[in-house]
Parts: sequence; structure tokens; C-alpha cells
Amino acid sequence: MSDQHILSINNLQKLYGETHVLKDINIAMDKGEFLVLVGPSGCGKSTLLSCISGLTEISSGSIHIAGKDRTHCEPADRDIAMVFQSYALFPNMSVERNIGFGLEVRKVPEAIRKQKVAEVAELLKIGHLLHRRPAELSGGQRQRVAMGRALVRDPALFLFDEPLSNLDAKLRVTMRTEIKRIHQTTGASIVYVTHDQIEAMTLATRIVVLRDGIIQQIGTPQEIYNTPVNAFVADFMGSPSMNLMRGTAVRQDGKIRLSIPTPGGSVLELEDMRTDSSAISEEKRDILIGLRPEAMTDTLSGSRDPGQIADCILDVVEPAGADTYAVINLGGTETIARLSADANVQAGQTVPIRFDLSKVSYFDVDSGARL
Amino acid sequence: MLGRRQLREKWFLLAPAMAVLALITLMPLANTFWLSFTDTRISALPTPTHFIGLENYIYALTDPDFQDALFRTLYFTVVSVGLEGVIGVAIAVLLNQQFKGRTLLRALIILPWAVPTIVNAVAWRLIYHPDYGALNSMLYQLGFISDYRSWIGDPMTAMHMVILADMWKNFPLVAYVALAALQTVPGDLLKAAAVEGASPWKRFWSITLPWIAGPLMVVMVLRTIEAFRVFDIVYVMTGGGPADSTKTASFYVYQEYFNYLRSGSGASYAVLVAGISAVMILGYYAAARRQSQGGAA
Amino acid sequence: MRRSLLQSVLLYACVVLVALFTAGPLLWLVTMSISAPTDLTEVPLRWIPSEVDFSRYQTLLDLNDGSGERFLSALRNSILTAGGATLLALLLAVPAAYSFSRRNASMVLLFAFLATIMMPPITYILPLYSTFSSLGMLNKTLTLIVVYTAMLLPFATWLMKSNIDVLPIEVEQAAFMEGASTAYTIREVVLPLALPAIAATAMLSFLVAWDEFFYALIFTNDLSAKTLPVAIADFSAGRVTDYGVIATVGVMATLPPAILAICFQKFIVSGLVAGSVKG
Ligand SMILES: Nc1ncnc2c1ncn2[C@@H]1O[C@H](COP(=O)(O)OP(=O)(O)OP(=O)(O)O)[C@@H](O)[C@H]1O
Ligand SMILES: [Mg+2]
Repeated sequence: MSDQHILSINNLQKLYGETHVLKDINIAMDKGEFLVLVGPSGCGKSTLLSCISGLTEISSGSIHIAGKDRTHCEPADRDIAMVFQSYALFPNMSVERNIGFGLEVRKVPEAIRKQKVAEVAELLKIGHLLHRRPAELSGGQRQRVAMGRALVRDPALFLFDEPLSNLDAKLRVTMRTEIKRIHQTTGASIVYVTHDQIEAMTLATRIVVLRDGIIQQIGTPQEIYNTPVNAFVADFMGSPSMNLMRGTAVRQDGKIRLSIPTPGGSVLELEDMRTDSSAISEEKRDILIGLRPEAMTDTLSGSRDPGQIADCILDVVEPAGADTYAVINLGGTETIARLSADANVQAGQTVPIRFDLSKVSYFDVDSGARL
Repeated sequence: MLGRRQLREKWFLLAPAMAVLALITLMPLANTFWLSFTDTRISALPTPTHFIGLENYIYALTDPDFQDALFRTLYFTVVSVGLEGVIGVAIAVLLNQQFKGRTLLRALIILPWAVPTIVNAVAWRLIYHPDYGALNSMLYQLGFISDYRSWIGDPMTAMHMVILADMWKNFPLVAYVALAALQTVPGDLLKAAAVEGASPWKRFWSITLPWIAGPLMVVMVLRTIEAFRVFDIVYVMTGGGPADSTKTASFYVYQEYFNYLRSGSGASYAVLVAGISAVMILGYYAAARRQSQGGAA
Repeated sequence: MRRSLLQSVLLYACVVLVALFTAGPLLWLVTMSISAPTDLTEVPLRWIPSEVDFSRYQTLLDLNDGSGERFLSALRNSILTAGGATLLALLLAVPAAYSFSRRNASMVLLFAFLATIMMPPITYILPLYSTFSSLGMLNKTLTLIVVYTAMLLPFATWLMKSNIDVLPIEVEQAAFMEGASTAYTIREVVLPLALPAIAATAMLSFLVAWDEFFYALIFTNDLSAKTLPVAIADFSAGRVTDYGVIATVGVMATLPPAILAICFQKFIVSGLVAGSVKG
């Protein structure tokens, strides 16, 4: 089984003394996948990557890479390469030697080494920088060199630890595209840590959401985005994050009727036409209703689905270029609606808002689990 | 967390250094300890040695000459290091002021430290010369003395002359440490105290000195350990004399070994001196530990 | 805060006093070395030399002269001994320091290292003397190098450790990931990064070895191995009629460390301060 996977982690546990940093991690990753680890700061992303790389010994469990048990292998013997957040270039060596270091260590003949370095440099568009020192490079160029060093050895698995977090916003977008391009042209298998969910959504073929050392959900970006397994994932992924409103739900006439209290004392009534949510019974219950901001729009938005329209008071209006975000108090929280850019609205106004319930999620109020 | 290879490497990397230290310090230490229980003598002919138990120690501990040497060493250490502390801090305070030529003076202070111990001893021996020395000439010309004196030929003054010479070479270390610590004293604190009406003197005692006390303490203990081993300067300046007035503990052991060739008995003195040093070394670690845990600098 | 006139005068008086106290003995040593012999035996002294006389320097640098030979061979021995010991000590200290810094070697062990050099040398001298004597290794530069290596090692290890501590560890991890061995990583990655620290450590070690007297006194007895401190002690104890010669030897022995100390003052002072204060 494990020999079909490029990386398979089974029952991995990691403790630092008393603190349980990673709890029963299981991951199976196919060749060519781009697996992104996300989670809040301190959840154990770097630690997990470090365990895969072999820089950290794991407390129990096993790690197979490219079909071989590498649980107790040295980092160098795991057929992996890593790109560090700080780039970790060798400051005393030229770009060329930095990229070729792994080959140099493996005693690859110089001619072949030079050729491979040149190829990778070509791919990364840093061919003209080969004789510079890292100190003479910009952040983005250093990032490329760090990737070049990983790529040149053509390992089974690449590990990236927040590789773009030291770049400014614009460069980050460029490099994100660059990484995506490299993944697509080389078909490399990549494990990628980030706390930037846009990065996660755009790059990943699958996303692993971690919290307190426990995997919350593994799935494609669409699965994670549309069907988060719990309120935490729903809240964590997406920007702005999913609106989690407290309300009641009851099944009636094959529909689900939702009631969401508003500050004015009136109750917002919505209807979900789907019938598959078996968790909602004919008995009225308290739930968390999850709606993405784009499912709450103004009536101008050219949606074909008429949806359900209700008047809401806009507390705050934040124009953000392509969209205008509006804060509406619903179900005891500040929810965010995504209005079109030319919606001419002001804070304090009462405006008709269109609710699209086709992708609504329901969560248990206490456990946060998806219903 | 260390992997197995790293654990192996830990000792592998340490091994050469540990081997050298074991050979050159640990084994001789053990050997000296063993010798101190024997009546071994240094001689060209092989002579039988006997284990004589605590006899050497009983003799050493009741030997008034050795006790005198120990007290002399203690006196040398306390006065020398004490003066270095006072002068070092005073000079550091001076160097921490704004004045023209400060950089130059800061650089100048390193020179005494750079002078080799033996050159220092020789230079001061010349300065103290009874007939042609600079000290005599200067004091005479300034009217402080009416006759030249034999500064290191007089048991009353010899030790103090040695201390002066030793202090001159070693105050820079204390001064630099004190200066580094002074530069971390927050100016706001001193300004606040000045606004409250505290005099400069009061500010120094209640703010500056407590602030630099940690590092100062550590360097003074370090100097104490060094001073307690004093040998070189005594060897060159006075040879332990006159009338044994500068014969320090190390010098005493040296003579027992290499003049009287009594290695067994010498070893027992050495062990006693080493024991005192060991206590001071523990004191150093206590001070350094406190310093690095919650010190000011 | 502005100073009053009185305070300024007082301050500069102190500055002059300190400068005189610090430089006076050295200036006098230099003056003696270039004064005519008769100037040095006047009572009271003639402070400003009647003529400037560099002949003693010439004599000391002349191999064919008796004192010159003594001085030059001592100089050679000192350079060899201090240089050799510094090199060896660094060679051993760097891996040890790496072990303390990156392989979790116990700090207690490092303290034990340091304790060995804090002990008085009389604790070690006799067994060392007997051993070297029975091995026929007395009066050899190599012997001194070995002993000095042990003497320099703990401090060098300590200084290197605190410098490696602050290097970015990811760079080493990257080297390991790329498949480099620890030795290769130390040589190709750590050492270049730690070069300034190594230079400072080497300098301080060299100066300590240059200054050492006790072991050299006991282990050497002729021109072939005697170092400068021992030679100077001999000069000073011998029946020299011209005190200027002793002063000249002193000046020459002080020049190398003094030049190092002045040129690399920042380096050395920070090394010294760190070395004596941090635990
Ligand atoms: N060497 C260590 N010793 C003890 N605890 C550690 C060690 N390294 C990490 N931890 C703990 O393990 C937890 C996970 O750390 P980790 O660095 O993996 O988080 P992360 O998800 O990468 O966070 P970030 O997004 O801030 O980088 C943290 O609580 C951290 O304090
Ligand atoms: Mg991290």
C-alpha cells in the first residue's frame, strides 16, 4: 500500500518533553501532489515538516518516502530536498556552488554538475546570477536560488517551509505563480507549509488543516472551502472567513427552515431547499449556520439564482476595489457580506441582501462538527 | 532532539579535546594527588618511594612557613584584586564620560594588558632599582624622599611593590568589563534620579554600582583565581625574598619541588593550594551563573 | 548635562593622570632602551636621553652577537610555540565547540574544561615534568606546544561555542539536507561563517601562549627551546651592566602583542569581556 504513495505517514507522534506537539498524524500523499499544510501559528506545521525531513526524530509512528521506510534515516538519505523559510543559503558560496552543493557532496563530476546547475538556473531564470554571493541578491532571487538548490538533485519529495513569508506582497504573488509553474512543469511532489490561505488555495492539490497538532481535515481546496468538516476549518480557511451565525433549524415540508436573530429583535427567516441534511430533524434545534461572504450579496449582483432576499442593516461598509464588504450583525456575530463594487451603500443603511443557501454548512453548536 | 548519529558525533567531536585535557591536566592532577601520600623525591638515581599516608599533610598543615606563604598569597590576592577593582571602576567611569581623546585613552588602556607578565616584572624591577631606578629618582626630584631606597630589597615594602606592578598590568581587564557594563546603565534611570535631587555620588552608589555589580563580581572572582596562583612576577622581581617576604604559595611549592626536590611533600602543598583554588572556582561558577541568569548585562 | 569649568578641569586632570599612569612605565621602558648607558646610571636620572641610541636593537637583531643569538632564538621559539599551540588548540576546539553548541554536549563538561585552566599550574607540573623527562621530551618546542594546547583549549572552546551559538542553524540544516557530513558542514559552512570569531580566538590564544612563563621555565633549559619570557628572565637575572639591554628585550617582546592589541582592539576587548563575564 505504502509503495504507491510518495509519502505516507502513519500514526506519527511527536513530544517535546511533556508537550504533545503532534498527535497521531496520518497522511498518504500521491506522486505529483502538492500538499499544503496550514494551521494557526504553533499548531505544529514546522515540526511536522521537520519530522518528514529527518531534522527532528519522531517519538513514534513511521514515515515512508517513495515506498521505503525512512523513519530513522538521516535527512540526507531520505531522497528529499527542503526550502527553508530563511532560505538558508550558504553565504560564503556563489549561487552556482549553492545550487550545486548537494551534487558536490555526492561527488557528481564537475561537468555534469555544471550542466545541471545551468539547467535549473535556466528554469528559474537566474542564469545570469550564478557568480554572485547570496548577499548580493534580492529576496526573490534568494528564494529562487533556494529552490534551485532543491530542484537540482531531483529528489522524490520537496519540502517547503513558508518559503514566501519573507517576501513583500507583490513578489509573493509572482513567486507563488512561479512555484505553481515549476510544479506543473516538473511534476514534483511537494509538501508545503504556509499560514497564508490564499497560497494554500491556489497552490494545493490537497490541503491538510492542522490545529494543536491534530489533523482537522485533508481535502482538495474545493472540499476544504465548500464542505469544511468543522467550524474551525470553516473559520480558518477563506478570507474573509466563513460567517458562522447562531440560529435555529427545523425540517418542515422537505425544506429546512432557518431562523437567525438580528439585533433589532426581528428574526431573519431563510429556507434551505436541500433535503439531504439528515442531521436536521423535525425537532427545532440550535445550530451554527455557515455562509461564505459571497453567498450574501446585494441584489445588483448578477446572480441567476434569485435566492432569498431580506433587508439588513449595514453596520460598516468597506470598499475593497473589486468588491465592497459590508458588516451585518446576524446571529450574535458580525457577519460579512460581499457586495458588488458599485453597490452604492452607506453604513447605517438598510439594504436588501440576497442569501444564496446552495452552499450552506451546518455545525453543531457545542462540538463545532459538521452536521 | 538528537538522532543516534548526532549522539555518536557529540562524543566523537569532543574526543580529541578531552583526550588532550585528560593527558595534560587530569592525569597529572591524579598523579599529584597520589604523590602527596608518598615520600617521593626527585633524584637521578631510582630511589624507593613509600606510601606514608597523611604524614605530608600533617606536616604541611603544621608548617608555619607554609601558613605564612598562604597568608602572604591571600594578602597579595585581596589587596591586588581589591585595588584593581577600585581603580578599574574609577577608570571605567572616567572612560564613560565625554571628553576629547576618549577613544585614544580607551585604546591606551589595553597596553598594560598586552605587556607580557615577565616584561612587566622586569620593567618594574628596573623602575624600583635601588641605585638607578625611576621611582627613586622621581620621588627624590619631587622632594618626597631625601635618600634613595631599596624598594624591593626591604621586607616592609617588597610585597606592596609587587602588588603595584601586578595591579598595573591587570587593571585594564576590570576597567573594560566595568566599562562594558556601564554602557548598559539606562541613562533615563540616572536622569530620573538626578531630577529627584540625588547627588552624583548618591547616584553612583545607589544606581550605577548595583547595576554593574554582577559582571564586576564575576571578573573580580576570575582575577582572584588568577592572582592566587601568582608565581611569575615574584620569580622575576624578588625571587620570593627578601626574607621570604614575597614568597607566595605557588613559589613555595615550586621551591619544595625544584630546590629541595621533595616531590611527595611538595605535592601535598600543591593539593592544598589546589583545594583552595577549587573552592574559588566554584565561587566563580556561582557568580557567573547568577550573572547569566538574572544579571544586568 | 553641561559641566562647569571646575568639573572640566578636574575631568581632564584625571584623564592626564590615568594616561600617565598607564603609559608612563611603558614610555620609560622605551626611553631606557634608546638612552646612552651612562644616562641610565645618573643620580638622579636624566629623563630625556642625551642622545638617541638604537644600537641595542641592532645588537639584539644580530645573530652573531651573543645576546642577539639568545634573543633571536627565543623569539623563534616563542613564535613556534605560541603559533603551533594556537593552531592545534583551534583545531581541537572547533569540533568540541560545535559539540557543545549543536550536539547538546553537557555544559558541566565545559565548566570542567574551564576549571582545568583555572587551577594553579603547580598542580600539574611535577607529574608532567617526570613524564616528559622519562620520555626524553624536556627542552623541546613540541613539548611546550602540547602543554600550551591543553592550556589554550578550554578558553578557545568556550569562546568558539558562544560564537557558534549565534550562527543561523538553518544553514547547517540545509547542508545536512543536501547530504553533507558533519565534518564537511563544519569545514565548508560553519568555519567560513565563524571566521571573525576564529580570528579573535586565535589572537587571544596566541597572546596567552606568548605570555606563558611557568611551564617554559621548567621544561626548557637552553637556546633550542627557551621562549622569550624565560630568556627575558635570564637577561634580567644575569650580570648585565647595561639596563638598557633588558629594557630593549622587554620592548621587543611587547611589540607583537601590543601591535595585535591596538590593531584589533574591538575584537580583543569584546572577546576579553565576554570571556571573563559570561558563565
Ligand atoms: N524544540 C522544541 N522544544 C519544545 N517545544 C517545541 C520545540 N519546537 C517547537 N515546539 C513547540 O511545538 C509547537 C509547534 O511548533 P511549530 O514550530 O511546529 O509551529 P508552527 O505551526 O510551525 O508555527 P508557526 O506558524 O508559528 O511557524 C509549538 O507550541 C512550539 O512551542
Ligand atoms: Mg513554523
